[in-house]
Amino acid sequence: MLTVHEIDVFIQASHILRRVSLEVGAREVVCLVGRNGAGKSTTLRTIMGYLRPRSGRVELRGQPIQGRRTHEIAALGLGWAPEDSGIFTDLTVAENIEIATWTRRGGRPAAERLDLAYGVFPVLRRYMTRKGPEMSGGERKMLSIARALALDPEMLLLDEPFEGLSPTIIPSVSDGIAQITRLGHAVLLAESNIHHVPEYTTRLYVIERGEIVFAGTLDDAWRDATVLRIIGGTR
Amino acid sequence: MQVVFGVQKIFNLACGSFYALGAYVGVSAVGWYAAAGGPPALFIVPLALAGLAVGAVGVVIERGLLSFVYERDETFQLLLTFAVVLMMEDAIRLTWGTAPRSTAGLYLAYGQTQLLGATVPVYNLVVIAASLAIALAIGWLLTRTTFGRIVRATADNREMAAALGVDLRRVYAKVFTLGTALGTLGGALVIPATAAMSEMGIELIVEAFAVVVIGGLGSMRGAFVGALVVGILRSFAISIYPELEMLLIYLIVIAVLVLRPRGLFGGAGV
Repeated sequence: MLTVHEIDVFIQASHILRRVSLEVGAREVVCLVGRNGAGKSTTLRTIMGYLRPRSGRVELRGQPIQGRRTHEIAALGLGWAPEDSGIFTDLTVAENIEIATWTRRGGRPAAERLDLAYGVFPVLRRYMTRKGPEMSGGERKMLSIARALALDPEMLLLDEPFEGLSPTIIPSVSDGIAQITRLGHAVLLAESNIHHVPEYTTRLYVIERGEIVFAGTLDDAWRDATVLRIIGGTR
Repeated sequence: MQVVFGVQKIFNLACGSFYALGAYVGVSAVGWYAAAGGPPALFIVPLALAGLAVGAVGVVIERGLLSFVYERDETFQLLLTFAVVLMMEDAIRLTWGTAPRSTAGLYLAYGQTQLLGATVPVYNLVVIAASLAIALAIGWLLTRTTFGRIVRATADNREMAAALGVDLRRVYAKVFTLGTALGTLGGALVIPATAAMSEMGIELIVEAFAVVVIGGLGSMRGAFVGALVVGILRSFAISIYPELEMLLIYLIVIAVLVLRPRGLFGGAGV
């Protein structure tokens, strides 16, 4: 579905990503794990077209997408939930979610897409007329993911969906993501702590200083001393 | 101006020039209309149409110039739009000459009326009503339509809007054109009450900046209050001691900048 092939990304003069490659198959859940500043967000932002790789390829269903504009990449079927949630604070919860159905037409009808989005995080229905500033961090994360889902994408990119959340709210966000994968969407998820990586993860990549240093299953990662040193964190 | 700045985060000094351009085109349109023998009572129709139509230059300037500086520093934007101001001013002088132009006699075509003991030309009331209608229409557009919600989302977070499939360039072009058309329409509508002068663009910019600084960037409520403050202060100063007129406004601007750098209604998010 999505192939990132040996991309090098520079931000001004600094070399941020070095020959990063990764792959996400249809219906797979792939985690990109690394410390803060290792290059997780840069990888996802490059896939979304905010940054241009100096070399290498990004392909969606075999079609190169590097260098295309962000709204075109979204229209090709990538849903994006950034680390800071990116909620439109001036709009209500309902308007935030509906935007995706106005900009990308075709595919499933709008009502069905909205039902899907609210179905994953039913708690959002209660806040429909609320605006961004009145929401908690967990609710913002949920809204951000639900909004990306309303775009009816084949694949979701989630940048640290559990970051900064209280332990009591993490399970409901995690359950929502599990439900999204059961609906058939592929997911690429960035995470800084291996303890937050969901058990249903198909594959896991570890990134350190802009380079992929490990690729394998979650079980393999737990047995790898280097991986645990980098992202073991503390419970 | 508030809407355009909020969405594009670009300083555009050229709005004053659009205002002047609208004024001149309005004068010419009304001139042709009168020469063609149209009834004087309807002169506001060609005036408004001319004002709106010339708003189309907004498309040309946005596509041809501004779209290259969205990612650049604000200084570049200021310089570029100031260049546009100067060029338009000269273009206006070349086309219409340096002498002020006015729509002779049409100001009072609608007669006068008594309001709160003062004699007021009916045309002023027409312009006030038109301004209110435009303000309401813009409010409706921004809060009740799909396009308006997309515009507000883009103003809030353009990266995120793009990730949700919003074509930023199209939104910028539409908003800029709308802003230009409002500027030229405004210029055309005030012209019967005053005269078109090539310097009116710069004069308006100074005043608009005072309004925006007092009100706070990107806040419609602030713009409204700022406009009231500037308007009241000016008439107040003129009636007491005319030489103080602009000085008083600058003093208020300085006071606001020192005491409330974000303006009276400027949010933290600007």
